[in-house]
Amino acid sequence: MKIGTIARNTFREAKRDRVLYLLFFFAAVCIVFARALAVLTVGDRVKIIKDVGLASISLFGVLMAILMGTGLVYKEIDKKTIFTLLAKPIHRAQFILGKYLGLVLTLFIMTVLMAAIFLAVLFAHTFRVEWPMLTAILFIFLELLVITAVAVLFSTFSTPILSSIFSLSFALIGHLSWGLETLIRKMRPGAGRTLARVLYTFLPDLENFNFKTEVVHGLPIPPRIYLYSTAYGLLYAAFVLGLAVWVFRKRDFI
Amino acid sequence: MTTRRIAPRRLSGGFALGLFLAATCAGFMGLKLETDQVLREKVPGSSIIYIPSGKFLKYATFGYSALAADLVYLWAIQYYGSPEIVDRFAYLDHIFAIIAELDPRYADPYEIGSMIADREAGDIPLALAILDRGFAKNPDMWIFPFEAGHIAQTRLKDFDLAREYFGKAMVLPGAPDFTKRLYANAAFKVTDYATSWETWLEVYNTATDDRVKKIASNHLYQVRAEMDVNALKEAVAKFKERYGRLPAALDRLVATGLLSALPMDLDGRDYVYDPATGDVKAPSLWWKR
Repeated sequence: MKIGTIARNTFREAKRDRVLYLLFFFAAVCIVFARALAVLTVGDRVKIIKDVGLASISLFGVLMAILMGTGLVYKEIDKKTIFTLLAKPIHRAQFILGKYLGLVLTLFIMTVLMAAIFLAVLFAHTFRVEWPMLTAILFIFLELLVITAVAVLFSTFSTPILSSIFSLSFALIGHLSWGLETLIRKMRPGAGRTLARVLYTFLPDLENFNFKTEVVHGLPIPPRIYLYSTAYGLLYAAFVLGLAVWVFRKRDFI
Repeated sequence: MTTRRIAPRRLSGGFALGLFLAATCAGFMGLKLETDQVLREKVPGSSIIYIPSGKFLKYATFGYSALAADLVYLWAIQYYGSPEIVDRFAYLDHIFAIIAELDPRYADPYEIGSMIADREAGDIPLALAILDRGFAKNPDMWIFPFEAGHIAQTRLKDFDLAREYFGKAMVLPGAPDFTKRLYANAAFKVTDYATSWETWLEVYNTATDDRVKKIASNHLYQVRAEMDVNALKEAVAKFKERYGRLPAALDRLVATGLLSALPMDLDGRDYVYDPATGDVKAPSLWWKR
């Protein structure tokens, strides 16, 4: 109940944020522009529209999650509204969860809107609704859940600028961590390799949520991966939120 | 009293949170390993064709073009080392052209690119084109025309082309001495004996060690012998045309005015003549002198 109230307030607050609309505007422009870009290609134009559209949803979704998530807790501390909130019978974990869910709701609506524009642009080109695209978009949203949790974590102890840099780095590492596997394969067995292996499994693997290539090329996706990727995303987000709660519990506001 | 009541609650809350963190961490790490076991379909090389031209990519790197070149090169090595991508050579030139645009002075990609084109893709013209690009962007680097000359000589057996490349390489600073020897040898192969003689003579005169001097001397012998044997064979053919028979000995060529004097090899010995067949040979094998 308390979590719901905080989430609703966070959503109302997010709705008033101009950055959200600015990013949404650019995302919409990119998705629509994909159609113009497709004219320049030789060959499959629909592929270009799909690639650019999905990339825009992913990129601007990540930017929304980072730019809004990193100021989420920090703003409350900076404006001293945190004192009023914590004076009430609210657990700090409830506060963090409420904030997180409020932003997740905002991102969900934004993702739905971007997806609607994307599908409309695709429909204008192919005259059919490309439902498989929703699979990729769903997992983009799952990626946003993880990145939002990370942004909230950094927001509990750092300034928005630093938190944005950290969160962006997290997103980059998440998409490049698979490269460690190549390195591990070339390493000799020993402590270094074990350490690299632990690091590899601990670091986020955001490629688990990347189904863009598969849906664009119509490749079969093993059903197990849906379950694993969803569970992985939810557990990773839960872990990061747990860390955020732990850090936030340690903070002294008096 | 209040403090005593709160402390255990905080402690149990902290313990529960610790437990939650450990459980979720173990959960996602386990899932990560499980997910790695699931094989996902790939479109080999599908991403390559969308890599823009290096000229445009250079602007997009915001001043980090050398770093971008390193990254593309590292990626390219992994990519071209993946035999499961059957059509990986389709964009070979495109990829190495991008690296060349991003960092024109980066020598390794030209060499490795040409090696992949030659040895892996079997596309020798492309291998030469990559090295030509390297030389066009780095006219002070001898290695590119040298490598191209080597490919032209060993793979194409085009000694004329090889001579052209070695000729470009040998005049550049830092080019190894043997480039000049390769040039002289290529000139010999295309029967440009005068150039070959001059170059070997220069090698002989400038050699600082006995081994190189001996090599040059042997090749000078070879060039001289080849020229003399050709001249003698031509005179023998003319003799046969005029008298309807082969000369009994080589001195008959001088007696009949077909030659002004009999040539001798570089060691001052007479050439060997077979009156039965009209064949003329050098008295020594040039590499055994």
